[in-house]
Amino acid sequence: MNLFFRGCCVLTLALLAAAPAGPMFEVKLPRGLDFTLQNSPTPQKYLIETMPGGVALLDYNNDGLLDIFLVNGGHVTNPMQLPENFDRHDPKYWNRLYRQNKDGSFTDVTEQAGLSKAGDGNYGMGVAVGDYDNDGYPDLYVTSYGKNILYHNNGDGTFTDVTAKAGVAGGGWSVSAGFFDYDNDGKLDLFVTRYMEWDTKHSKNCGGNYHTYCPPEEFPATTNILYHNNGDGTFTDVSQHSGITAKKGRALGVAFADYDGDGYTDIFVANDGMQQYLFHNNGDGTFKEVSLEAGTALSQDGRRLSGMGVVFQDYDNDGRPDVIVTELPREIYGVYHNDGDGTFTYRSLETGLGLLSSGSSGWGVGLEDFDNDGWKDLFVAQGHVLDNVEQIDPSLHYLEPPLLAMNRNGRFERADSGDTTPWAARGAAFGDLNNDGRQDVVMTTLGGAPQIFFNRGGKQHWLTIALRGTRSNRDGFGARVQVNGQTRFATSAGSYLSASDKRLHFGLGTADKAKVEINWPSGIHQTLNDVHADQFLEVREPEKP
Amino acid sequence: MIRALLLLYFAWQIASPQAAEHMQAGITADKERKFDVAVAEYKKATELDPSFVDGFISLGQAYMESGDYGAAIPALKHALELSADSAPAHQLLGYALLSQGYASEAIPHLRHSPDKSALGIAQIQTGQLPEAVANLQASLAAHPNDPDLLYYLGRASGLLAKQSVDTLLAAFPDSPRAHQAMAENYYVLRRMQDAEKEYHDALKLRPGLPEAHLALGEVYAGAFQWPQAEEQFRLQVKLQPGNAEAAYRLGDALLEQGKAHEARAELVRADKLLPDMPETLYALGKAASLEGDSAAAEKVWTKLLSIEQQSSLAAQAHFGLAGIYRKQGKPAAAKREMEEFEKLQNNSAQPQPAAQPDSQH
Repeated sequence: MNLFFRGCCVLTLALLAAAPAGPMFEVKLPRGLDFTLQNSPTPQKYLIETMPGGVALLDYNNDGLLDIFLVNGGHVTNPMQLPENFDRHDPKYWNRLYRQNKDGSFTDVTEQAGLSKAGDGNYGMGVAVGDYDNDGYPDLYVTSYGKNILYHNNGDGTFTDVTAKAGVAGGGWSVSAGFFDYDNDGKLDLFVTRYMEWDTKHSKNCGGNYHTYCPPEEFPATTNILYHNNGDGTFTDVSQHSGITAKKGRALGVAFADYDGDGYTDIFVANDGMQQYLFHNNGDGTFKEVSLEAGTALSQDGRRLSGMGVVFQDYDNDGRPDVIVTELPREIYGVYHNDGDGTFTYRSLETGLGLLSSGSSGWGVGLEDFDNDGWKDLFVAQGHVLDNVEQIDPSLHYLEPPLLAMNRNGRFERADSGDTTPWAARGAAFGDLNNDGRQDVVMTTLGGAPQIFFNRGGKQHWLTIALRGTRSNRDGFGARVQVNGQTRFATSAGSYLSASDKRLHFGLGTADKAKVEINWPSGIHQTLNDVHADQFLEVREPEKP
Repeated sequence: MIRALLLLYFAWQIASPQAAEHMQAGITADKERKFDVAVAEYKKATELDPSFVDGFISLGQAYMESGDYGAAIPALKHALELSADSAPAHQLLGYALLSQGYASEAIPHLRHSPDKSALGIAQIQTGQLPEAVANLQASLAAHPNDPDLLYYLGRASGLLAKQSVDTLLAAFPDSPRAHQAMAENYYVLRRMQDAEKEYHDALKLRPGLPEAHLALGEVYAGAFQWPQAEEQFRLQVKLQPGNAEAAYRLGDALLEQGKAHEARAELVRADKLLPDMPETLYALGKAASLEGDSAAAEKVWTKLLSIEQQSSLAAQAHFGLAGIYRKQGKPAAAKREMEEFEKLQNNSAQPQPAAQPDSQH
């Protein structure tokens, strides 16, 4: 056969196989998942009411099935009484852990897992997941307006609140958080974003006659927190020493990746209504904020952005992590392409994402290969921040359906997610809930149930890798994993308020075998050839280089 | 204002010595801004000499300066009974009546004033809008950038436009122009779906209705429906190939969709039709930049900066140039452009100067 002709046929078949016949997802609520996100909107329009809530996909009991942890808001009174009390002792306002059963149903195990006490003074926001003590069981860090809580996974189906001992309560208004190993010492550190200096006592009336939630500029910026893991169950607040506090912001999202390939994980912080921050890891325990020099601070036109969610992964398969930030309408979601020279180019228009997002408000976001064609697609949880935005501008909407955009060689095209229902969506986490080799999505909605998007997409080959660090942190966070020319940076962080399945999913298209290359945070490079497709593969880090 | 007018017009007539004495005392108190004292002195002067025209005018003026416009009216009317041609009395009475809301009654008196601003304002209130516009324009020519005059001229013009549209809608409700006018109203109210419907109705009745495709394109653009906006701008460009705005809008709609090459061609055309428009130049640089043509982007943005140095477009051009120089490995030039960008950003972030206090009319 003529090689050119054969190439055409392969390409055509690949495209046909890639194109889902119908919607990408089936949206259904599995049995037993009875959570409602209580954000408690009041006529006072306290800003916290429109900001929750996070979701995590984790296998807390290591039975091979992803479980779901959902963060709840709390009860807000009208007006708020002091001292602030959000009635978190009331089961209606608990955070919830749902264990997945073998039949795909879920069981609420919150109480037996010891997760029912969220603290009456805490209005819940987000969640981070990581095995900070390398015992093989994922731990939970829950952020709040109030105090944050670190729950240690005891490995027997229960968790213990170890916040006081660990010294990671934070304070103020914490939002997204994530575990990562910034100094490559094999122990996961913790980064916590904080939104602004705000409390219910100092809330304001904004929007004139419309009475809206206030824009972020109304309140002072604040600092983020970096905790260093001491390896003995305690953490040290190194925010100041590391240079993180040198930049105050209004942070909502955080994601990690080594953007310049120097072997140290960097931090991207999505800030609301101001410039975005890129903290370059200097490799000596300090960071330098370089977003202006790197080209990730502002839009192409030099405009400040309302950064909310963020993903730090490689969308164009050039091996380098890019940044996608979700924002408010008229700003269009920011695509910052990593040019490989320490700088980024704004490519929202070229990638088509500008066209898909100019009228939308985005929060949780993920780059996942939903159709297993070898290109990471985009899912965004959407909905405006103002619940009365239509009164102010009828062309905008408080409730929006999520955005699913398929990646066609680096250009995004709108696709049918299977959900046309408009939501006030916020958090989003990604993972293979039913272990069918296709990435699913869990999305939170204000005042509503989580929406579960079961992937019914393409039937192409795939490979899902679970990292087991030995010299590196046990989760392998920070590892750069390449499979057949695609790259993922191991993390559970990113999106908005949420934590995704730590396993790394790759679509392989028509390839039934794969070459896997892993650059561990320890510096060890590992290669696996002829790996069979369509399997969940645990890769253990070699003890020696 | 009142004092200045009186200085121009006031001619103190000879009065009785006692009246003249009180008159002088009133003037002195007036200068010292002791208006209560001035009122008392002028009152005494007019009581001593009931035919003392200037005494009544001064009394009216003092009342007005003390803020009591209602009390000024009888004194000024009495002055006019004594001297029907007294220009200062007419003018002051006109102001006093206008300030009390008697616009119709004020107008004949205000016609005596060479300054037509108050007359124009009174005519807005009586619905004599074309005359109001003419008088306010004349007054604005004499006092350029007067905020009050700018405001009232805008208001008069707006009301005149509304009057015209109201007549159109009442007389020809199903005409293409009526639909077009309704569409424009809805657009201002950001009722985009209604605006879209009205424009379509207008175009159905009269295909090729001037400016309708352009405006409908802007409706779609405002609702972020860029492909539809592109379609309408293309139709406008087809109808009016010499319309620079249509070419610019089409280029911009293409740019928003990431169609940099097509956008650039259209923006080049827009720049040829109406050279050196800053918006066109900025978008042209952006399109060139998207295509990777840094040299062209640098050229047009530099040109833009030779035309505009302080605007938000200038800030954006500096920001774009900084990005180009950074990529070209010119850190000093990039730093300089960023400094200029930040300077403009800081300027625009600073609070605006407080509004001028209302001047008295």
